[in-house]
Amino acid sequence: MPERLGSRFLAVVGHPVTVALVVAFGLGAVVIALTGGDPAAAFGEMLTGGFTGSGLRNTLGRMIPIVGMALAFSLAFRSGVLNLGGEGQMLMGALFGTMTAIVLPGPGPVVIVVAVLVGAAVGALWALLPALGQTMFQVPLLITSLLLNYVARATTSYLVRYPFGEPGAAFATTVAVPETNRIPDFQLLGGGISISLFFVVALVLLLAVVYRRSVFGYETAMLGYSGPFARYGGVDVKRKTLAVMGLAGAIGGLVGSHLVLGETYRYIDADMIAQTGFAWTGLMVSLLASNRPWAILVAGFFFSGLQIGGFAMERSTDVSFQLADVIQALVIVAVVSRLGLTWRRRRKLGEEIGPPQPEMEAAHVGEV
Amino acid sequence: MTTELELRGITKRFPGVLACDGIDLTAERGEIHCIVGENGAGKTTLMSILYGLFPPDEGEILVRGRPVRFNSPLDAIRLGLGMVHQAFKLFPSLTVAENVIFREEPAKLGWIDRSQATARVKELADGYGLAVDPTAVVEDLPVGVLQRVEILKALYRDASILILDEPTAVLTPQERDRLFEVMRRLRDSGRTILFITHKLAEVMAVADRITVLRNGRAVAELDPSTTTPEEISRHMTGRDVEPVRAGPSKGVGEVVLSVRSLTVEGAHGLPAVSEVSFDVRSGEIVGIAAVAGNGQTELVEAIAGIRDVEAGSITVAGVDITHLDVAGRRRAGMSYIPEDRHRVGTAAAATVAENLLMGYQRSDAMRRGAWLRRDAVVEHARRLQEEFAIRVSDIDVAAGTLSGGNLQKVALAREMTHDSPLIIAEQPTRGVDIGAIEFIHSRLVAARDRGAAILLVSAELSEIQSLATRILVMFEGRVVAELDPDRVDEAEIGLHMTGGKVASA
Repeated sequence: MPERLGSRFLAVVGHPVTVALVVAFGLGAVVIALTGGDPAAAFGEMLTGGFTGSGLRNTLGRMIPIVGMALAFSLAFRSGVLNLGGEGQMLMGALFGTMTAIVLPGPGPVVIVVAVLVGAAVGALWALLPALGQTMFQVPLLITSLLLNYVARATTSYLVRYPFGEPGAAFATTVAVPETNRIPDFQLLGGGISISLFFVVALVLLLAVVYRRSVFGYETAMLGYSGPFARYGGVDVKRKTLAVMGLAGAIGGLVGSHLVLGETYRYIDADMIAQTGFAWTGLMVSLLASNRPWAILVAGFFFSGLQIGGFAMERSTDVSFQLADVIQALVIVAVVSRLGLTWRRRRKLGEEIGPPQPEMEAAHVGEV
Repeated sequence: MTTELELRGITKRFPGVLACDGIDLTAERGEIHCIVGENGAGKTTLMSILYGLFPPDEGEILVRGRPVRFNSPLDAIRLGLGMVHQAFKLFPSLTVAENVIFREEPAKLGWIDRSQATARVKELADGYGLAVDPTAVVEDLPVGVLQRVEILKALYRDASILILDEPTAVLTPQERDRLFEVMRRLRDSGRTILFITHKLAEVMAVADRITVLRNGRAVAELDPSTTTPEEISRHMTGRDVEPVRAGPSKGVGEVVLSVRSLTVEGAHGLPAVSEVSFDVRSGEIVGIAAVAGNGQTELVEAIAGIRDVEAGSITVAGVDITHLDVAGRRRAGMSYIPEDRHRVGTAAAATVAENLLMGYQRSDAMRRGAWLRRDAVVEHARRLQEEFAIRVSDIDVAAGTLSGGNLQKVALAREMTHDSPLIIAEQPTRGVDIGAIEFIHSRLVAARDRGAAILLVSAELSEIQSLATRILVMFEGRVVAELDPDRVDEAEIGLHMTGGKVASA
């Protein structure tokens, strides 16, 4: 069936993600060439640095927070809830998870589980604040969730400087988490990767099944497609908003706890503020993957590799690692702009039964 | 007579569908040319091609004898085409004059010349008997007037060919008659009107010539003086259509829906529904007739549970549902076919199967604990697809790709299949074709005969007259009359709908 193969090939080539990647790398190459670099060499370094050997190990490690934060964002976003508070939820969860691991006595594995759950709970509570604001007082969640990030930054900075801080330290940090209470690594490619990787993959699997197979997954998806339709069908919009925000915050808190218990072993204020970038990379990954869990895993791996590869590229060529950020941003811009829209229209027409109903967008005055 | 517009062999393919199949159409200067056909017959596609929204695959368009090619609606407007869409495209916060002159503002030293704009719009309006105040703000105007503003927009751009896409759907009988007068006046001034409609009575009343489309082809060109509605309908459907006669009710039983002193708040804190009381009994269809914006929408939304009740009570089958949520009301035995099938009745991005599940995802048949029973969901969807003849290649196709009539069948199938004691049907046949109307009507009558209580809200008086056991007329939020459909005519209902007076303005 060469014809079908041909059309599938075209579908992949014409897919907005493919187009976006070509456009992003093409523009990236132009930028490198304009600044006097060699695009082929730079991209070569990026690929080998991000996707081979120890670079691949680092990429897999970096995937954990990126995929985690992408799952947190997508969980709310696919229900039509725009949660921009990922970084705050992550920070609050991280600090309280860390403190639990520091102060709680008991056998290591138990302490780790409890600490991570405390991190998840605090992240969830932090996410519920804007959700309650919206469901009870109609304060837009989009804005409050974003602004609470600054409150979270200030709050965690304060706590880690004063009540939770290590006495006499030169910078704002907690004491180190006892060795028994750290999330262990496993060995791969000549080094350690946190076992959190398995939990992130398990979470992808779990969410994929919940989205497709559960009543909750169905109701939240319908809510995301059309709020009025879901409400009309008896979906409790307020409860669902609270639920998806609580779950998104919990995932954020888990990711934050992992960043300390599995990576740095101390909550260092300046470090953690820098790590908030994962929340935004996660948002981009989620957009690229259209909120689908498996696609998030792939896109998260790709973006993680770009970032790790970007560092390698900077080490061995004159091109700055920020180019990786530029390419990420270009991919997203290309995906969310027209390139994607034409594809969506084509797909719609491809499955068309009747002729399309052209509806030009303009002010509709039908409801006066 | 001179030919104003000619379409030759217009063909348009969409993947898997031949939307227009070599359509020929000729419209003379100064004629009202009706284009009729069921949904999916190709009317919308043909008009979109004519208005430059997309190019035909084959065929040509001639305007005043000259072949033309439209790349966008702006090209079409430049050549004298004007279109009045079903959904009005106006700026609610601007005045009539500002809307009309948009993009072609009369200017003085770079500033809009408002007095000249107002004067020109007024002159145009008076010239064609379009009663419109140019200084009125659009959001304060009723729909009938908005339509006149749309017509003015086209006339202001000096449109010699006016396309009216189902313009009467939102009008009262009186407003409709006034529109017909305006159309005749425009025709007499030498303009060409393409009038798209489903309603055969309107075709007979106003057409100079009729083109019938079916399955993408122009199957007949008819002269209204020598044809009959039955013949047109035969061409449209390719068969004889018997209008559904509800027939006498098989016996009216217990009260199912009981509304008492219901008050619902509307915009600006004013009551949209005030002190409304009525019952709907098992085995009867109660029709609510009202001009758009007189509280019928708010009444239905309050009963359905998507709008708060200010005062009063609603009971379904003996259960007080006034303060229950939507899920609770559905459990109490309410099904609801909403007016806005695109936003409320279905979700365009969801699959047909997902759309057919809504409202019953928590029923025992469809789930096992927290998990959906995929096999039951799929089987349910396939059964409904077959039973309600929903034309779709697969139940996993996005609902947004379905035509209007098919989409309505999705909502209808879902709401009718659970044998609810109460069915609320809001504009169930708006914008769907004759075949689907017949189908929907027969389903409603069948539901009535099995003992359902049906509340039918419709702007189609003929629909209410042929189906309803009783008619309640709403005006300004109140029930102003209860009528027997066998004893009143359209004109009398229309009079009550406008508060006992002929519509002003």
